[in-house]
Amino acid sequence: MNYTFQFGVAFAQLPELLKGAVVTFELGLLTFWGGALIGLLGASLKTFGGPILRRVAHAYVIFFTNTPALIQIYFLLYGLGDIGILWDGFTCTLIGLTLNAGAYLTEIMRAGFISVRRTEMEAAETLGMSVWQQIRFVIVPHIAKTIYPALANFFVVILVMGTSIGAVVGVDELTGQAINISTENYRWIEMFVVVAGIYVVLTLIASLSLALVGRWAFRVKAKVF
Amino acid sequence: MLGRLAGEIPRFFTLQKLALLLEAMGTTLAMTIIGCVFGFLLAFTIVFLRQTPGRLALPIRLVAILYVEIFRRIPFLVVTYLVLFFIQIFVSDASLFAIAVIAICIYSTAYTAEIIRGGFESVARQQIEAAAAMNFSRWQTLMSVIIPQSWPVILPPAVAFAVGFIKDTALVSQVGVFELTFRGKELNNEGFSGILVFGTIALLYFAMSYPLSRWGRWLEQRLASSPSKRPQQRLRPAHGP
Repeated sequence: MNYTFQFGVAFAQLPELLKGAVVTFELGLLTFWGGALIGLLGASLKTFGGPILRRVAHAYVIFFTNTPALIQIYFLLYGLGDIGILWDGFTCTLIGLTLNAGAYLTEIMRAGFISVRRTEMEAAETLGMSVWQQIRFVIVPHIAKTIYPALANFFVVILVMGTSIGAVVGVDELTGQAINISTENYRWIEMFVVVAGIYVVLTLIASLSLALVGRWAFRVKAKVF
Repeated sequence: MLGRLAGEIPRFFTLQKLALLLEAMGTTLAMTIIGCVFGFLLAFTIVFLRQTPGRLALPIRLVAILYVEIFRRIPFLVVTYLVLFFIQIFVSDASLFAIAVIAICIYSTAYTAEIIRGGFESVARQQIEAAAAMNFSRWQTLMSVIIPQSWPVILPPAVAFAVGFIKDTALVSQVGVFELTFRGKELNNEGFSGILVFGTIALLYFAMSYPLSRWGRWLEQRLASSPSKRPQQRLRPAHGP
């Protein structure tokens, strides 16, 4: 082994890498909230929709959870390019990941929807609550508390597994920046060790703050470790 | 566009190309299975080390905890690149397939360790205390008390993880392993339309992932119901006292 590690080179690029980390965080947030909207729609269709809508939502979930996110992004990038829809790497990653996350979030939210029991609604009605009050004080708090741990976990999964896929199609997020810089200075190992460290710190911050928000807002005892 | 697709389809679905894609599916499945099986065994070791008692074993416990906590927070793509370049320091002509398997193994170890730990912790504490009272060694306790009771809890999520990982292995196409995604990119570069190529690749991944995930769910339901409740095993009708 005749390889000398030079971490100084990697740390000198920290500002560039942190710029990438910001893009990672943005991509993660956008994907999560877009996916949450799709998930809300999908779960509503699966729970309350008619037979046809229910099948459509089911097919969407089955298809997107059983194919790789990378292939979905490639399809948007290279497939749609053939019929004249030319999106750049960031747009394709964002749309692909959002559709992909939407499928998983549909399942998470549906689990929350069906956890509300009939008797709870009856109790709320007995107390003379209006429909709006039932939603505000019974249904939403119950669902939020049930699915919050799964949502928080999924956000971290998107932040780590999801957004790094963008690097493959040229998005300058954290992994992408590391690849860009490494192809210039050939310090691959050092760069990726530093990037791995940034990912650990980033997800720890996300996990910790999500656990705190959960405890404060929904009285969920989420575990960070 | 449709005309172009119709023109390409006979050229695309030739026996030669289908054989190529089937071989690529085999590579994808093989590296997932090998990586996840070794990962599963390593994860057992990690959990065993993590539960070593005593003050002297503190560094061992710490390493086990850090390994899991760190590798669960790093993207698979980053792990793959790290393995690729790290191994190339020592072996300059290492097989890319082996590198992919090692990356999958490292990653799946961290994830399955959490699954296994959850399974071990689901065993009632009294069982372990009873084993200690009967002077079982740690290894005996693990083998004849903990594992027999916890494998129905461990196996379904571990299988679900491995099946889910079939899709994530698409990322190792980046380092040049000849698996399904890589072949798809190759065909796209040869000039076949992206819709045709990546549509087909997506369907092939679906064909691997969907049946296996259904099987995983079946396994989960079967293991979740206790043996006495399985209808096919109820040989005699229950009698009243």
